[in-house]
Amino acid sequence: MANPAPIRSFLQAAKAEEVAPALRVVQMEGLAILKIIKHCKEFSPALVTGQLLGLDVGSVLEVTNCFPFPNREDDEELEAEGANYQLEMMRCLREVNVDNNTVGWYQSTLLGSYQTVELIETFMNYQENIKRCVCIIYDPSKSNQGVLALKALKLSDSFMELYRSNNFTGEKLREKNLTWVDIFEEIPIKVSNSPLISACMTELEADTPVAQGDLDRLQLSTKPFMERNLEFLMECMDDMSQEQQKFQYHYRNIARQQTQQQAWLQKRRAENMARKAAGEEPSPEEDPSNPIFKLIAEPSRLETFLLTNQISNYCNQINGVAGLSFNRLYLMKALHEN
Amino acid sequence: MVLLIKRTPSGILLILANGFEILDSEEERQSSYDSDPGNEEDTPAEPTSAVGNRYLQQNASDSDDSEEQKRVIRSAKDKRFEEMSATIDQIKNAIKINDWVSLQESFDKINKQLEKVMRVTESERVPNLYIKALVILEDFLAQALANKDAKKKMSSSNAKALNSMKQKLKKNNKQYEDLISKYREKPDIEVSNEDEDDSDQTETMSDNESEVSSDSGSDTDDNPDVRDLNMIKKKDTFMDKEFKKDPRDITWDTVNKKLKEVVAARGRKGTGRVELVEQLSFLTRVAKTPAQKLEILFTVVSAQFDINPGLSGHMPINVWKKCVDNMLAILDILNQYPNIVVDDMVEPDENETQKGADYNGTIRVWGNLVAYLERIDVEFFKSLQCIDPHTKEFVERLRDEPLFLVLAQNVQDYLEKTGNMKAAAKVALKRVELVYYKPQEVYDAMRKLADLSEERDDVESEAEESKWSDERRAPPSFVVVPEVVPRKPAFPESSRVFMDTLVSLIYKYGDERTKARAMLCDIYHHALLDEFSSSRDLLLMSHLQDNIQIMDISTQILYNRAMAQLGLSAFRNGLFTEGHSCLSELYSAGRVRELLAQGVSQSRYHEKTPEQERLERRRQMPYHMHINLELLEAVHLTCAMLLEVPNMAANTVDSKRRVISKTFRRFFEISERQILMGPPENVRDHVMAATRALSQGDYQKAFDLITSLQVWKLLKNKDAVFQMLKDMIKEEALRTYLFSYAAFYSSLALDQLSKMFGLSESTTHSIVSKMMISEELHASWDQPTRCIVFHDVGLSRLQALAFQLTDKLSILAESNERAVEAKFGSGLGGGGLDGLPLRRRDAGDYAAAVGSGGGGNRWQDSQSYNQGRQGGSTMGRHGGGGKPFGPGQTSGGGGGYSRDRTGQTRGTVSYGGRHSYQSGSSKMDSSARMGYTRAP
Repeated sequence: MANPAPIRSFLQAAKAEEVAPALRVVQMEGLAILKIIKHCKEFSPALVTGQLLGLDVGSVLEVTNCFPFPNREDDEELEAEGANYQLEMMRCLREVNVDNNTVGWYQSTLLGSYQTVELIETFMNYQENIKRCVCIIYDPSKSNQGVLALKALKLSDSFMELYRSNNFTGEKLREKNLTWVDIFEEIPIKVSNSPLISACMTELEADTPVAQGDLDRLQLSTKPFMERNLEFLMECMDDMSQEQQKFQYHYRNIARQQTQQQAWLQKRRAENMARKAAGEEPSPEEDPSNPIFKLIAEPSRLETFLLTNQISNYCNQINGVAGLSFNRLYLMKALHEN
Repeated sequence: MVLLIKRTPSGILLILANGFEILDSEEERQSSYDSDPGNEEDTPAEPTSAVGNRYLQQNASDSDDSEEQKRVIRSAKDKRFEEMSATIDQIKNAIKINDWVSLQESFDKINKQLEKVMRVTESERVPNLYIKALVILEDFLAQALANKDAKKKMSSSNAKALNSMKQKLKKNNKQYEDLISKYREKPDIEVSNEDEDDSDQTETMSDNESEVSSDSGSDTDDNPDVRDLNMIKKKDTFMDKEFKKDPRDITWDTVNKKLKEVVAARGRKGTGRVELVEQLSFLTRVAKTPAQKLEILFTVVSAQFDINPGLSGHMPINVWKKCVDNMLAILDILNQYPNIVVDDMVEPDENETQKGADYNGTIRVWGNLVAYLERIDVEFFKSLQCIDPHTKEFVERLRDEPLFLVLAQNVQDYLEKTGNMKAAAKVALKRVELVYYKPQEVYDAMRKLADLSEERDDVESEAEESKWSDERRAPPSFVVVPEVVPRKPAFPESSRVFMDTLVSLIYKYGDERTKARAMLCDIYHHALLDEFSSSRDLLLMSHLQDNIQIMDISTQILYNRAMAQLGLSAFRNGLFTEGHSCLSELYSAGRVRELLAQGVSQSRYHEKTPEQERLERRRQMPYHMHINLELLEAVHLTCAMLLEVPNMAANTVDSKRRVISKTFRRFFEISERQILMGPPENVRDHVMAATRALSQGDYQKAFDLITSLQVWKLLKNKDAVFQMLKDMIKEEALRTYLFSYAAFYSSLALDQLSKMFGLSESTTHSIVSKMMISEELHASWDQPTRCIVFHDVGLSRLQALAFQLTDKLSILAESNERAVEAKFGSGLGGGGLDGLPLRRRDAGDYAAAVGSGGGGNRWQDSQSYNQGRQGGSTMGRHGGGGKPFGPGQTSGGGGGYSRDRTGQTRGTVSYGGRHSYQSGSSKMDSSARMGYTRAP
């Protein structure tokens, strides 16, 4: 919560608002990352969420601590409890002198399938209270392959504006020059530790040249991962086709309406000709009360956009993994030859 | 009865009338015929009043002791009646001296008295006394008016009174029209029965009888006939009065006037429809000129249509037959006097029909032969709908079909002669619609029946002639028209020839709807005669499937019927795939009954309004036109089984991917889910059991199960079909076996395989080779050992998924394409041809992106399907412009068809003949959506 210090004058506050610099980087404490990884991994494959705490300093968002939310179930009572828990937790943390500013939330995901409407909604909720917030996404399944799959996301400003007006017609999107790539913005993450911790770590580091992560990276079996990815991709394609059908239906409706309008107009014109011949006033050529002139609402494109994002995400993953696999295979081949 | 007699004098009349009606009305009637109209009035009138009086007195004396209260009331009533009868006496006196002034007075008086009487008796019924007075007055008036000399002699005041009386009476009598006519039919009977005893009655009866017979010359003695005659005569009474006296006096004018009168009464309240027809048909006999006779006949026919008031019921059959007779009579006249023109466009001159037979110019008569004919057809159809098909009545009714065909043929001949080809085409359609559903055997039977009935009719009609001769002779017809129209139906030997001649006439001259219907009938008939290919060609080149949705419901039903018949025909010819594609659409919604209009199916989800239900019932096909639904279902399911079983075996991994027949799949799933499998009972059970056997490769069991169905006996050349079916089942069993069990073999000997399925080695070889070529079976031949060597090419899951993904992608790309088309469709103008290369390039990119080798291959498949679709749509566009039908195209392969061909080849560059048909049929499937189902 951006608590403006009461000492600040209004002028200062206004000035500060004006020059709020764009978010460049998310700086995460090692502690927070480890806590996130621990939480997510323990509960995998169930999806979990938690609160991020930290400070907003200029163009850097510092995430210094976090705490997990209890496993949410769809119950009113539990939800209220969750809110209580959150408040209680923050109070406790403040008492031990931890940053108690909410700067966003983290969540785990499965194979990067996070681009959903729910995420956007949550983000909008956070955005209402916290001007600058971020969502950290951790993918335990991907991390198994020796990569730290950590991502910091935020919604782009133009998208948020559009979302507020809830108007995702093709025209508006073109006006804003918004494409599916522009929904999310990924922010680079910088891991920082206090020098003390860094020193400790160097002290603790083993002398072996290979770490666990390196071994993971050499794993040859990528099949399950690829299969899962493909399955998800196919689901997305199905959804996509459905969306497409919606649009087709929409266009068909519009075409039908147009022919109806034409027919009506022609009839009206013929009538007017007759009226003219009879020396009467011609009736107007537009009749807003007629149902055939009612505009047919265009279906929202949000879902399509999200799906496209999702698909591109899957494709990237597959591409990445496939590339890595080839490398490994060549490596293995070379080893065998040797 | 006695009690009632005592109550009111008017009651006496009523009850006695009822009691003695049968005996007395006849003789009364006949006696009234004989007597001079002048005398007639006097004789019954006087005794009535006397009787009435006497009765009143009796009443008074009878019941004076007990019921004093009542007597007072009664006497009040009686007093009124007495007054009335006194007035009637006055009227009679005035009539005797021809004093119209006093008549007028008494008329006013009696009207006032009537009011009082009505008030006293508190009844709605007008007393008969009053009616009698009216009748007397009316008759006298008519007499006075007719007698022109006497009218001239009258004093001015008298003549004035006469005129005013005429008007008053006319106005007044209109209210009591019914009662008067009723009274005329059975006037005061008490005259005879009060005074004469029974023996007298019989005497007079016989007297009358003899009188009648002497009078009309040829009356028979058997009673029912006399009764009948009388019934008719009664209705014609007032006509008779005018026309009977001296037939030579009847002029065109009188007939015309009468006709106008009768026609004006039509549709009014209180005009009996049957009576109207009787009156009119009487008039036809006295018509002066042929044109007039024609005019009257037209009114008779339309009045006959009116007899049945409701839309749901049908016309009584005897009326229908008479109606047909009348139509034939009309044709006779028209043929004999070619200068008479029937037209419904112009309102003809008032006195057009006055022109006699010797008139030279054209005479226009208002009427529409085709409309009448169509109406007769509709009534025939309706009667067949209504009659229970399991009764003898239905068969009897069916025998009337040749009668209608004769009429239609004659009408058509006449129309052709007069050059009205458009109407002739319409009539031809009616004939086609009666014949198209008849296989050759039924057609032959009908032909024979027509010949037979013709002979019998001759005999019968002679008998009838003699029977009714008296009636016909009584008022001799002025316009005698000899029968010039051939009454014998001329049926060609084969129904095909019959259809061909009619249909080509229709294609030449008919309007759009007539042509479409004729085309459908033609298709149906071709299919019925097992000429599947010509039938299919007709359907495809007519493009009926494109615009059937916008046609009327009955045409849609006809279309559905034609499709069903086409499917059956394909099955009989052993073309199971085609049969399935024809039938699957009908069965997809599970409302086949409704689609073929052979019964109403109850929908669980939405109730029909009574209105809808009635409409639907009116659309039903009569029983003799039904297509056997059980047979249809058996054919459909068998076809589906033959296609679906190997398909299911081939795609075990994801069975949902390629579904040929959803209906079949659903049925199969249901039967799979059953825990306890009983012996098969209905068609579906049999086919499902056969499916199970077939999927295990047990072709013999499958064949036995299918052939054990009872419905097959309805199939023409059953044995040949069974032979084909058996071969097909063997083949499919082999394919299924290979699909299911190939993975467990490393090699398989050819002779082993051919022995297993009872197929010749060459057939087995060709089937297996075909499967290898189409990459359904991953194997190769080992020629020296005559073995199939299987390659182990099981797909990994990842590969399978990749394939699935490419399928999904192709679907998506296609729908994308369609969306673009929808948006810029009009802009492309010249068809999808411009868009094609572009898409191809895109498609190539996609295929490359997808990567894995098999993907590209599959993509091509689906792409070629796209092209087919594209080609189909351009074809539709090309064909839609020109008229699909041309003369002489019925023999198949006309100009239109070849044009379509070119359109198709332009759309798809590399296409084989068989392929092009398939694309057509798939289009046929998709567009053959039954519009009827959608109709509210």
